Amino acid sequence: MYAELGELGFTVIAIALDEVEAAREWIEAANPTYPCVIDVDHRVAEQYGIINVPTAIWIDEDDRIVRPPDMTPVNDLFKDFTGIESEVHHNQLRAWVRDGELPLSLDRVAEFQNQPSANDQLARLHRRVGAWLHRAGHDEAAAPHFERAQTLAPWDWTVHRGAMPLTGRDPFGPEFFDYVKNWNEAGAPGYSWGNSALRRDLATEE
Amino acid sequence: MTFTILHEDGEVAVAGPTIAVGDLAAATGWELKAEGLCRGDVCVPVRDRAALVVDDAVAIEALGAALHRPVVVDADAGVAAIGADPVAVGTALRDRQAPDFTLPTLSGEQFSLSSVGRKKKVLIAWASW
Repeated sequence: MYAELGELGFTVIAIALDEVEAAREWIEAANPTYPCVIDVDHRVAEQYGIINVPTAIWIDEDDRIVRPPDMTPVNDLFKDFTGIESEVHHNQLRAWVRDGELPLSLDRVAEFQNQPSANDQLARLHRRVGAWLHRAGHDEAAAPHFERAQTLAPWDWTVHRGAMPLTGRDPFGPEFFDYVKNWNEAGAPGYSWGNSALRRDLATEE
Repeated sequence: MTFTILHEDGEVAVAGPTIAVGDLAAATGWELKAEGLCRGDVCVPVRDRAALVVDDAVAIEALGAALHRPVVVDADAGVAAIGADPVAVGTALRDRQAPDFTLPTLSGEQFSLSSVGRKKKVLIAWASW
């Protein structure tokens, strides 16, 4: 998409909510021409209310958010799992970059922003401290911070699933699939990510 | 043993979880002035100075309380984190303002959102997990 739209006053900025070494092989393999930053502290997640990956946020020329955080697959690899076709997002993106057309009216964008609760914010800090201790080689000291973070914000995937590789657990293993099942049974809670309300409204407004 | 504070601009090593008033600006970016706790143009009034400053020093928990920000302190492990201002985060999201950030690329170079200028931008948050 960047290759197609990059000439039209448009750029992608990729933010890895990850450890440097974990992000390295992916970035080196993709070797992108757009900026790729690594956010080990999940600061951008804190600022923008990002609770899962992959998430896209659109920002206009005046640094205003014009599409709220939403799950936006780059391809159809997980289509059966997420029920989301990548082409829908790509077409919306083309319409915006070429013609300035937005999929959701601006007064509705704020409605779908992820306003963090006090517990959500505290969870992100515990995750940050846990990840720092893990990097420093203090996994024993890190463990209670990861546990506290998950208790405070059980449906924030950046907190829960993101901690799995830092605590010797498999983010693609049975624990993750149990987590998805529980999340679905709880009504897929948490902000707009994966929230069918945003998807329904986007479809209506098209 | 040094003590590490993770704050919004990065991390800094200090002597312990309580910081001498004179070292506060270097350690946290916040300076104690007559107007309150100040950082750049922003000053947060301090209602209860006696609760903030004890024996000419400021505990990180007290700093977080005075700034109305969440904090996590692990005294045994020697690390603390001060969060972003919840009111500022909430207001920016409600008003659709895209906050600036500065983060490193793989090569260690710093990149700021504000350096992009007048372009349409898509932030893609991703991870290997």
